[in-house]
Formats: sequence, structure tokens, C-alpha cells
Amino acid sequence: MSVILAIIVGIAMGVVFGFALEKSRVFEPGIIVGQMQLRNFIMLKVFLTAVATGAVVLAVLNGFGYVKLQPKAAAYAADIVGGLLLGAGISLAGACPGTTLAQIGAGYRDAFFTLVGGLFGAVAFSYVQPALAKTFLGQSGPKIIFSNMLGVPYWAGALVLAAAIVVTLIALEAWSPWRGEMGKDVDGDLPASPPPEKASMHAQPAE
Amino acid sequence: MLTRQAWSPYLAGVVIGILQIPAFLLIETALGASSSYVTIGGIFVSWIDPSILKIDYVARHVAATGKNWWQVALVIGIAIGAFVSMKLSGAKRAAISPIWQRALGSASPAKRYAVAFVGGFVLLLGARIADGCTSGHGLSGMAQLAVGSTVAVAAMFAGGIAIAMLLLRRI
Repeated sequence: MSVILAIIVGIAMGVVFGFALEKSRVFEPGIIVGQMQLRNFIMLKVFLTAVATGAVVLAVLNGFGYVKLQPKAAAYAADIVGGLLLGAGISLAGACPGTTLAQIGAGYRDAFFTLVGGLFGAVAFSYVQPALAKTFLGQSGPKIIFSNMLGVPYWAGALVLAAAIVVTLIALEAWSPWRGEMGKDVDGDLPASPPPEKASMHAQPAE
Repeated sequence: MLTRQAWSPYLAGVVIGILQIPAFLLIETALGASSSYVTIGGIFVSWIDPSILKIDYVARHVAATGKNWWQVALVIGIAIGAFVSMKLSGAKRAAISPIWQRALGSASPAKRYAVAFVGGFVLLLGARIADGCTSGHGLSGMAQLAVGSTVAVAAMFAGGIAIAMLLLRRI
């Protein structure tokens, strides 16, 4: 596929992606920080639903031989160190690399600082990558997937994962319904939680 | 539907998951977002320091391949999609989410902007070390049952929960 065509496909897919991120409110700092403080589970709900849907879709596409899987290598040291840093960044930014752009589109000004910080972070990594590649963080590993370890076909493993996620989500939704997690202004800004700290009255005027 | 302020997380999740179909069929890759920061950051810096393009890692990311530029287009599209959705529903946002005043214990925009910058820096540093972010390791890696991606996602939540609980105030 030519680069131009790939860009057109990318924009079209991105518009759908951004639309879904905005409608689900999962791009909201209140939802993301709320998830990390374990008082709001909309992020987990969107995330797990997308994983389960992806698993079903790929079970079909891969099972019938239309596509090859593209799993990343299991580089445990890099996965753990990088994952911890990435998670820390998610809480401080109130965003992940994709939702930062959704925040910009929806009008959050601080997201521009997240974006610029992210570009600096990516460039900093690029400069140290040749040196890092020689350390324990540069060690790559095999592209292993759980179904291979268990000796079952991918499509079977993917369908089991999707089923397990559906059960988990039904329980999660029964325990904490999503409508109750949105907040008045659909930004995850909820009234004070049960362990009441100081009054959570804030008066941020909507411009 | 398109003018609603909020969709069920399950509807939105299904829409996002379905995007794996064009990603795999048309681009032969999985959904991801963080590589595009290397592409754009590398190009910006190359105007000041052309030698950055001699780093193989950067050269691979700025090359004129469909995959590289598809992902740059994808993240630009995300901003457009969110903007259109916000306009249709009228869910206009303040400059800074009201939760930050409580999370940071300060109403100062300068403090928030500084935290956002540092957050963004750590976010992408971590994503590039781990070779993927919430999309690449999370959505795509876990759907493919990838062992390394599952470890990365567990670490992501561990790091996120630790910082949100220890460094930020309860929102």
C-alpha cells in the first residue's frame, strides 16, 4: 500500500478511534486518574471490551487464515521497567499516548504540554537507545503467546479470553454501573468518595 | 446517537476493537500510538541536529513507510474525531479538567502544565522502553495473547496506581 493511501486509511481510522474515545469519556483525566485511584472503572471497561472485541475479530481473521498475528517480543525487563514508567506517566499526565490527542481535540489545554513532553521523551529515548540496547533493557525475547504455551490454537485461546472478559465485565458492571461513574459534566468528576477527605467543592467555571 | 454526550463504555470498546480489522487487513499491523512520537520527534529534531537520523532506531521510524505514516495519521485522526464528537454533543471542556485542582492540591495552571509536561515525558520514555503503550501492548498485545504485552500491561497499572495513590491526592 502506498504511503498516501496508508495516511488516508490512518486518518479515517483515527477519526473513528477519537470519536469512540470522546464518546466513552475514557480520555478524561478524571476517568483515567479515577481508574488509577480505583474509584472509577470506565477505563477498564472500555479497555477490556476493546481487547475482547479485538480477540474475537482476530480469532476469526487468523483462524481462517486471512491475517498473520503481530505479537511483540516478550522482553520482560523492558516490559516491566517501561510499563512502570508508562503507568507513572499515565497518572501524572492523566492520559496515555493516544488519549493525549483526544484531549487536545476536545479542548484541554494542558494536553499540549503532555504532547510536547511526550515528544521530548521519545527523542530522549531515541538518543539513548543505542546505548540502552547493550544493557538488560535492550534484550529482546521470543514472540510468545499464551495459546502456544498451552498448546492450543490461537483462535481457541482468543475466544476463551473474550469469554472470560465478558464474565468479568458483567460482574464489574453489576458492582459499579457505568452511568454512576460519569459525573454531572461527563468528566469523571464525582462527588467526594466514601473516605471523605476535605470537601470536594471546586468551582472551576466552564469557560 | 452522534450528538449524545456519552456512550456506554461497552459500545465504545466494541468500536475500538473493530478497528483491528482494517489495521491488520490493510496495514498489516496492530493498533498502536506511541511509535508516532518517535517519527514526529525525530523529524523535528533533525532540523536542528541532522545526525539524529543516523541512529538506526530513528531512521527506521522516520522512513517513508506505510506503517510509520499510517500511525502518525491515526493519532492526528484521533484529535479530529474527538473534536468533531465534542462539537456534535456540545461537551465543551474547560482549559484544565476540574479534577486537577484536587489531585494536585493547587489551582495553578503553571503547576498543572509542568506536571503534564513531566507526565508526557515519562509516558513516552516508558512506552519506548517497553516498545508499546496502552494501545500497542494493551489493546493489541493482550488481544493477541502476547505474554510480554500482558506483563507490560500489569506493570503499567502497577506504576499508575502507585503514583496516583502516593503522589496525587484523592480526586
